[in-house]
Amino acid sequence: MPVRLAAASCLVSGLLAAAGCDGVGGGTGHVEHVWGRRGLSDGRLQKPRAMAINQQDQLYIVDTTGRIQAFDRDGQFLHGWRTPEIYAGKPCGLTFDRDGNLLVADTHYFRMLVYTPAGELLQERTIGGECGHEPGQFTFLTDVVRDTEGNYFICEYGDYDRVQKFSPEGEFILQWGSHGSEPGQFVQPRTLAIDEHDHVWVTDACNHRIQVFDASGAEAKLVRVWGRQGREPGQLRYPYGLALDGKGFVYVAEFGNSRVQKFTIAGEYVSHWGIPGRQEGELNKPWELAFDSQGALHVLDTYNHRVQRIRM
Amino acid sequence: MSNLEIGFDQPWYLSLLALIPLLWIFSYRSLAGLGNIRRLLALGLRTLVLALIVFALAEVQLLRTSDKVTVNYLLDQSESIPLEKRQAMLDFVIKAVRDHRNDARGDLAGVVVFGRNATIEIPPFDDDILVLGGLESHVNLRSDATNLSAALKLAQASFAEGSSKRIVIVTDGNENLGDARSVAAALAEDGIGIDVVPVKLTTRSEVAVERVMMPSDVRRGQPMETRVVLNNYSEQTVAGRVRFSRRVGLNDEFLGEIDVELEPGKRVLSFADKIEDPGAYTYQADFIPNDAEDDLMTQNNRATAFTHVRGKGSVLLIEDWQNAGEFDYMVERLRANDIEVDVMSSDSLFTSLAELQAYDSVILANVPRSSGDDAQSVSSFTDQQVAMLVRNTEQMGCGLLMLGGQNSFGAGGWSNTELEKAMPVDFQIKNAKIRAVGAVAMMMHASELAEGNHWQKEVAKKAINALGPMDYCGLIHWDGDDRWLWGEPQGIVKVGNRRTMMLARLGRMQPGDMPEFEPGMRKMLASFQRVNASVKLMIVISDGDPSPPTSSTLARYKKAEIQVTAVAVGTHGPAGHKTLQKVASVTGGRYYVVKDPRALPKIYVSEVRRVARPLIDELDPPVRPEITYPHEILQGIEGQLPPISGYVMTTLKENPLVEVASVVPTKHDPKNSTILASWTYGLGRTAVLTTDAGHRWALWKDWENYDKFFSQLVRWSMRPVNDAGKFAVATDVKDGKVRAVITALDKDDEFLNFLNMAGSATSPDLESFDIKIEQVAPGRYVTEFDADKDGNYFLTISPGSGYAPLRTGVNVPYSSEYRDRETNMALLNALARMKPKDGEEGVLIDGDLGANDFGSLLDVNSFRGDLAPAVSSQDVWPLFLVLTAGLFFADIFVRRVTVNFDWVLPAVAWIRSKVWQTETTQDVDQVLDRLRSSKAEVSGQIDERRAAARFAPSDEDLEDRGGRSLDDLVEGQTASAENAAAGRRPATPMGPDAAEEESYTSRLLKAKKQAWKDQPDKQD
Repeated sequence: MPVRLAAASCLVSGLLAAAGCDGVGGGTGHVEHVWGRRGLSDGRLQKPRAMAINQQDQLYIVDTTGRIQAFDRDGQFLHGWRTPEIYAGKPCGLTFDRDGNLLVADTHYFRMLVYTPAGELLQERTIGGECGHEPGQFTFLTDVVRDTEGNYFICEYGDYDRVQKFSPEGEFILQWGSHGSEPGQFVQPRTLAIDEHDHVWVTDACNHRIQVFDASGAEAKLVRVWGRQGREPGQLRYPYGLALDGKGFVYVAEFGNSRVQKFTIAGEYVSHWGIPGRQEGELNKPWELAFDSQGALHVLDTYNHRVQRIRM
Repeated sequence: MSNLEIGFDQPWYLSLLALIPLLWIFSYRSLAGLGNIRRLLALGLRTLVLALIVFALAEVQLLRTSDKVTVNYLLDQSESIPLEKRQAMLDFVIKAVRDHRNDARGDLAGVVVFGRNATIEIPPFDDDILVLGGLESHVNLRSDATNLSAALKLAQASFAEGSSKRIVIVTDGNENLGDARSVAAALAEDGIGIDVVPVKLTTRSEVAVERVMMPSDVRRGQPMETRVVLNNYSEQTVAGRVRFSRRVGLNDEFLGEIDVELEPGKRVLSFADKIEDPGAYTYQADFIPNDAEDDLMTQNNRATAFTHVRGKGSVLLIEDWQNAGEFDYMVERLRANDIEVDVMSSDSLFTSLAELQAYDSVILANVPRSSGDDAQSVSSFTDQQVAMLVRNTEQMGCGLLMLGGQNSFGAGGWSNTELEKAMPVDFQIKNAKIRAVGAVAMMMHASELAEGNHWQKEVAKKAINALGPMDYCGLIHWDGDDRWLWGEPQGIVKVGNRRTMMLARLGRMQPGDMPEFEPGMRKMLASFQRVNASVKLMIVISDGDPSPPTSSTLARYKKAEIQVTAVAVGTHGPAGHKTLQKVASVTGGRYYVVKDPRALPKIYVSEVRRVARPLIDELDPPVRPEITYPHEILQGIEGQLPPISGYVMTTLKENPLVEVASVVPTKHDPKNSTILASWTYGLGRTAVLTTDAGHRWALWKDWENYDKFFSQLVRWSMRPVNDAGKFAVATDVKDGKVRAVITALDKDDEFLNFLNMAGSATSPDLESFDIKIEQVAPGRYVTEFDADKDGNYFLTISPGSGYAPLRTGVNVPYSSEYRDRETNMALLNALARMKPKDGEEGVLIDGDLGANDFGSLLDVNSFRGDLAPAVSSQDVWPLFLVLTAGLFFADIFVRRVTVNFDWVLPAVAWIRSKVWQTETTQDVDQVLDRLRSSKAEVSGQIDERRAAARFAPSDEDLEDRGGRSLDDLVEGQTASAENAAAGRRPATPMGPDAAEEESYTSRLLKAKKQAWKDQPDKQD
């Protein structure tokens, strides 16, 4: 009898281990670390909406108070600052470029700001500042990325859901996209990412899909589009965050389904992690994802005012 | 930082534990058969079962004791405190929390601000206090009074469980509403500590106009003296001027100015005047200092008084500002018939009940509750103004008429208001045969507007109340998905009797950050298309950052004739406006940009009114209303009224006081087709004419009885005139009390005694209350009541049967907030000395809010742990019951089941052999040999027994039985036994045991044989 019990225990443990389930959260994956508390003082978070990780594995997070705060990998507060103006609204997108500077999508001031990691504003590198739909003008900026040649890609939504490309000097090069649900159109493009081919990945949040473009030529070409609305594994509801692991997989944070899904580059579902909730391993409307140098995935658990570090 | 303990909610049940010794006494002997160990085990289990049942009965709880402290700061933002000190309070709190809050312990800090009311600025939270951009609660805070008790109650309600509680009050202690001492005593009883930071008021240069005194009732042309009492509270002479003015109806008249030099102390100025025209007059005196530094508080520089000169009837007609001049002809004809008429536009309405006292009747002439096209121009009757109209009739006896038109009654958004209650008809149609009229769907998107959730609930509440029972209403909010707040899956459902449910669900609404409008608008469109309503309206409130709907969706809205009104609040710059503006313009709806959330309810009422249009019944061809009752209004008018081409449908009130003078014969129920009805409401009279007065539907200008009809209608509604006696009313305000003295004379100037006088008063916030009037001398009656609010108090006195009511007013010029200039240390000391239950007294924190870094104010730690530790409890008795059930089973098991432990030693040996591989081979062989020999021995024994059991009868038996039948009986058994013996093992010779078995078998066979022998004999 004891032999049977032991064998059964081993079998269950083995199956669970093989499935990658750690008994916390839904789906496949396990939580390494959870940190962050709601609040206004230094080190606290109030509905954090964007996150970026630099090469030193420091996390930079902007929340709805308009603060950009830097943390170490385990959530220890390092320093922080504010963008010049926050009355009309707060930034919604952060990215580190290859020079180690922080690109900030200053959403409601129609501009992209560039900061050093210490928080010094590089005024001369600001792009935009005017509301409109002409080249170089913006409505609601949501994210910024740079490709290997240093070109900027900035996405926005509002009346003109589009992505604009700028040279490393900030000169307008091209734009693509409009408001709509056809391939190549967007409804609220939320996050951008660049892969090893310099393809631009866009989370088309309100169309519940991912689109990939090759914008290296005179005009942007749609490379791939996948995803459809739903709650089942492999389906998407309001994909807000996106991260590429460089190993052929893409990870998507869903604002609507409160989970993270792992797909192949071609959009084939691999696994998912997270269920709606407030406990460790549960998510409440996550906005952003980012990988650190050790391959751990950081999930910005927005409505839980915290960050969860996971592996899946 | 918490400890766990066990406690009991009903500890007296623990006395049942005394049964345990009895249990032992009675059970010890009865369980003797079990052996010592099992008996003790069974007794132990029984004892535990009994103890656990007793604990469960005693409602055992897990008590968690915490040393965490929550401090709620109460900041007095009333006007009696200089502005700079009010602003410094928040900085003090921020520093105090940062210095003293123990983060490791999880201390919480919160902020409540108060004035006339109290509101939570920051709920208790385990973080330092950081406020971006100052106090937000100022939007809803009235600072013209100090209501410390309300703040204490609110703070108490906002404390979280599981921590010690302390309140820190920052105030000058000059409360003028409520009773802080009694509330604080209750808090102390609850273990809540109180620290006090007194705000020291320094001597300020201050002059106040204390009151204006004049006779309350004068005759035309009678000279009268108006006296003004001024008080200079400073220590030097203050120069300035006193300006006198008076207001009659809507007109202000400047009377003159006097230069004064005020020595410290009181001074009385007098001013002579006389009144030639009848009416209700308000006299006002203002003090204007030459140097503003000499008089820092301006709120106490004005006082007013009333007087009244009776003349011919006077009427106030209120018309819609968007349709000005609509009633000019009627006004002209009324004036021609000796009725004085003032016309007031709905965008510059009366602001006090006093203004209405000049009139004997008020006419609402096709005026809507709310009107306007944008957030700036939208104007409406506030709830308070509606209440003033109603009180003016109910308490003061003034007439109230409503004239019809497209903007009146239900079509004017007056449903579910106090005004509806005062009229002889209801404005809603409660008739199921009449088709549904309108459908409203609201979409709520969370915005970054201060108290956005509160305002969203407020506007939705207004909208729901403005709808009739046959209208439809739906509300979508974002909760991770676009959800209907009620009525899933239809969403837009008939209001009917769901109004209360809808209002209740609003309380639980928490609109989230909606990413896009499209899914919600599609959902609404589908629901609208299922609703059979004549007018369909969607209202969206948002900051404009969700993604816009597609053009095709907007086109479908337009095609379905569903207008979308967009209300932009806290929009993110110009980009935020674009989406909302487009949605409104494409669908033909309106677009409002709201800076001040207080405009929101007006907008919603104005918008919702648009769905009430179908209440209008337009008649083609025109129909003549029938006269159904010879009403005083129709005196001298014979037959039918002239034809009308429209009216607003209403529902006649089912009340015997209602008199229906005219009904229009239509296909509808006569109860919904009233044209003219009246009744008496309180002391006044109200009437409705549901058609208009000649602009569109009732083209009666050429009717010979036009003048007679309208003048009789207005005169019927006017206040009654008192000419049976002479009454004089004198009023005075002193020490927070209003005193009125009534002198009663008859026509011959003889005292009227033993009158059964009764009366009522209306306070500045329009609350009505009865007053007691007593006769104190011949012809002299007195009443007195508390006047703790600033503003106008109106008195209506009924002298008794046969006399018309008297009315008068008295003014309390300003709140005592503007009179107090010293810190009320007595109250503050008393509050700080309150000893909380199981804790230490509070501290009066001395210091100066104006000092740099707040000096000694920060020395006192209000997060100190001298309060009773917080204990939170959790019921665990259900768990104890489950445990009891388990132990009960164990008790039975121990008594009923004998457990054999013989297997233990072999098992141990087996485990040892498996686990400790160090045993030698020889040992193993020896063990195996032993096992083999044991096995052989046991096998031999088994074979012997089998052989013994084999059936082998003796020859003697065979002979006795007669051979054949016995062979038949045993053949099979013998054969099988022999086969088995041959096949498996060699035959074993019979031993003594076998012989013994054989003899037993023989005995059985003999017995059988004997039985068979006996049978034939018996049969024979």
